[in-house]
Amino acid sequence: MNENLKHRIKARILKALHLVALFIAMAIICVPGLWIVLNSFRPTVEIMAKPPVWIPSELNLDNYRAMFGAVGEGGVPVVQYFTNSLIISVTSTVIAILVGMAGGYAFARYRFKGKAGIFIGLMLTRAVPGVSLSLPLFIVMAKTGLIDTHVGLILVYVALNVPFTIWLIDGFFRQVPIELAEAAEIDGCTRWQAFWKVEFPVARAGIASAGIFAFLTSWNEYALASQLTRSTFSKTMPVGLRDFTSEFTINWGGMCALAVLMIIPALILTFIVQKHLIAGLTFGGVKG
Amino acid sequence: MSRLKPPAWFVLLLPAIIILAAVVLIPLLLSLYSSFTPYRLTRPDSLYRWIGFANYEKALTSIHFWTAFGRTVLLLTIALNLEMLMGLGLALLVNKVTWGQRTLRTIMMFPMMFSPILVGFQFKFIFNDNVGLVNNALQSLGLTDQAIPWLVDGKLAFFSILVAEMWSATSVFAILILAGLFAVPRDPIEAATVDGCTPWQTFRHITLPFIMPFIYIALAIRSLDVARAYDIVQIMTNGGPARRTELLWTLIGRTGYVDARMGYANAMGYISIFLAIFFTVYFFRKLNAARGELGMAS
Amino acid sequence: MAQVQLRSVVKKYGSLEVVHGIDLDIADNEFVVLVGPSGCGKSTTLRMIAGLEAISGGEIAIGERVVNDLPPRHRNISMVFQNYALYPHMTVRENLGFSLKIANRPQSEIDRAVEEAANILSLSDYMDRKPGALSGGQRQRVAMGRAIVRHPEVFLFDEPLSNLDAKLRTQMRTEIKKLHQKVQSTIVYVTHDQVEAMTLADRIVIMRDGHIEQVGTPLEVFENPVNTFVATFIGSPPMNLLPATITNGEVAIENGPSVALPSAFEGKVREGQAVILGFRADNLMPRGHSLPMEGQHAAFDMKVNLSEPLGTETLLFSSLAGREVQAKMLNPRPVSPGETLPFQLDLTRCHLFDAASEASLR
Repeated sequence: MNENLKHRIKARILKALHLVALFIAMAIICVPGLWIVLNSFRPTVEIMAKPPVWIPSELNLDNYRAMFGAVGEGGVPVVQYFTNSLIISVTSTVIAILVGMAGGYAFARYRFKGKAGIFIGLMLTRAVPGVSLSLPLFIVMAKTGLIDTHVGLILVYVALNVPFTIWLIDGFFRQVPIELAEAAEIDGCTRWQAFWKVEFPVARAGIASAGIFAFLTSWNEYALASQLTRSTFSKTMPVGLRDFTSEFTINWGGMCALAVLMIIPALILTFIVQKHLIAGLTFGGVKG
Repeated sequence: MSRLKPPAWFVLLLPAIIILAAVVLIPLLLSLYSSFTPYRLTRPDSLYRWIGFANYEKALTSIHFWTAFGRTVLLLTIALNLEMLMGLGLALLVNKVTWGQRTLRTIMMFPMMFSPILVGFQFKFIFNDNVGLVNNALQSLGLTDQAIPWLVDGKLAFFSILVAEMWSATSVFAILILAGLFAVPRDPIEAATVDGCTPWQTFRHITLPFIMPFIYIALAIRSLDVARAYDIVQIMTNGGPARRTELLWTLIGRTGYVDARMGYANAMGYISIFLAIFFTVYFFRKLNAARGELGMAS
Repeated sequence: MAQVQLRSVVKKYGSLEVVHGIDLDIADNEFVVLVGPSGCGKSTTLRMIAGLEAISGGEIAIGERVVNDLPPRHRNISMVFQNYALYPHMTVRENLGFSLKIANRPQSEIDRAVEEAANILSLSDYMDRKPGALSGGQRQRVAMGRAIVRHPEVFLFDEPLSNLDAKLRTQMRTEIKKLHQKVQSTIVYVTHDQVEAMTLADRIVIMRDGHIEQVGTPLEVFENPVNTFVATFIGSPPMNLLPATITNGEVAIENGPSVALPSAFEGKVREGQAVILGFRADNLMPRGHSLPMEGQHAAFDMKVNLSEPLGTETLLFSSLAGREVQAKMLNPRPVSPGETLPFQLDLTRCHLFDAASEASLR
């Protein structure tokens, strides 16, 4: 019985260690984000207090009121930035999905020479660092007058998202058995109808998650936007975050409030699609 | 008479190819050209003077360039490896949980939703020597009474950047590896335990080969997006103070936009592109090898 | 010595109890088959012996050692899985040698053991292939080879043949039987297929809903089922069961003819008792097409609804007292549907079960 007891104790200890490790890991993940949220409700004086104030004496909406009312320090036009971000992200996502669906379908359903090469080539365009790309893009956009416009940034984000969208959608279409489309064609559909009436609805959830992935990329992108937008009319929220910084000081409270405004849509969307997103990434990758 | 009709796949791929050519390829060609000129934003005519490899020579002989290059490679190597290991650890921890796994998985995805620039600000705030969370905590706990200059000291700043980068990207690895763990068939694992494997041996000989493709997918996806770290670094230190955390990307950004020396910046930009492509291709190849190992190759 | 003992073994998942305190003694070198319909707890029991499932109560001993909390690697067992569970990234040779490599045995010993297993199972031609390049039967053999290289005290088989086609299954069944004679060790084998159980086992354990219904040699459980469940589960086609009442010392089939009380049951039933009469198709045959019935037997006519010729015999589906019964016809001749034949029922081989408890009255 001694031997059994030893193993039982060992199993108990391991289980306890597992829980402790899990708790620490989750805390590390959560604390930075929660701290931002907490600070968005605190007055700047308290954030900057020395010695630090650990238990907030009062939580208020001042930072949010200042942000939307465009009063207080700086008067950052948050609503305008939010609208810009929304227009640019949504438009570029829709276009990227349409382009990506065509491309993904081509990879999933057709055999052609140099398929792997073309695929890698498309992916590599994504590997170009934003800052390296932003220099020549800046020149081209300046020459064509697209700089500081919605259209300019939309085009850039479409290009940024297409490779990944193709990767994901390719994976989703390959999960749809080809027999399904074939059956539809035998039932009298044209290839076009077979696609829209059978394959698309089946892959729809996956395509939606690819769309949300693209949306998040556009929503959060900074390196390119910071160079290609100059004025209030086209600046997006990530660029707008910088408005809270001045030469020597940073308005942490106001920035935290804008950060929360940025995170909330991202949070909601990600939760909706997390399952499909994971499935799409891994399927496309593993089944070659 | 028959007109040559382009194949369907080509028509379908055409929009993608056009947009990528317009937004990525043409600017890259332009930047390739301009990297052979002394182009300055302020002097447009300088775009038409050919100076051959002078910019590249300048970069390759510049101590600033090489330190930035070395630091970038170092940061990437350390960050990718640690992220992979910690992501693996996190995935294993969550995989072992029997209750509330959905909630944990959702929490795990939390950092993925943060814009890199936000991560930059967030950690700039956290590591702030005056009001930051880290110093406040250390001081309140009585571990130190000094304001540790997290973002000013070169080594500490590198460490702080690494922490921020790891916080933002570890969950990508964890999520993908967790998906891999779910896909591992249960039978071979049970067979291995019956065959006499300790938990560690089971992991090493059975689980790991199964999730290897997923690890490489994560690495490939990450390396596609590795320059995201630029946003974080730009906010946290912008390469400073005094170039102590200069990375290739911040150096390029400053040379191009602040100094307006586009030609030179583009030359360095090309080097950074090759670096990124190298990492990506490397991981894609590893991915294929790992797939072949499991007999999953297409 | 590797007997396996289960004492009041219980398995619970949360509040759901799936194995209700079973007791079982398996002798050294014995081939025991656990059989039952799906969900009866047979696989769970096997997995508890293997250590893949924790036990919620009771005690399991292998050899002289209680192994309740020991991980599988300390139990000196090996197991063949339903889906073979081969390691896809290893060649056949590596798969076979894996357990020995893990145990840090010298390479020469590993090679010898692998070679020996490969010879026993005729795998020598595929040693450098990966499982993906093998057929179902070959994979099955590798899985068995992997189990035997370690010379464990106990072999566990979890429905190892259920993924094979019918022909291969018969062939592998024979091989497993031969293997047992060659390697001489204790085997616990789980299956839902009663034919496999009958042909392989020294002793059969019939399980239902987490309980053991009957333990016995194949002939015992076939000849003397303890209840109607075992009676219908063992043997093909399943035993015919007809509700009846003991009336005037005879067995009166509900809405049907009365037959004499089989002499084996004299004194074991009381007048007016509701019973179930059970008999196998082999003991109900048309006159002139049956084995000679010298002992006590009954005779009645039945209409044949359907016939299935099997070559040496034909299976007849007829109705008796409004229920379908199956009978056999030796030296068959064509039978047209609707034809009425005179049947003989061998009463010496009939069973009586209590209608309420469904337990045998023998």
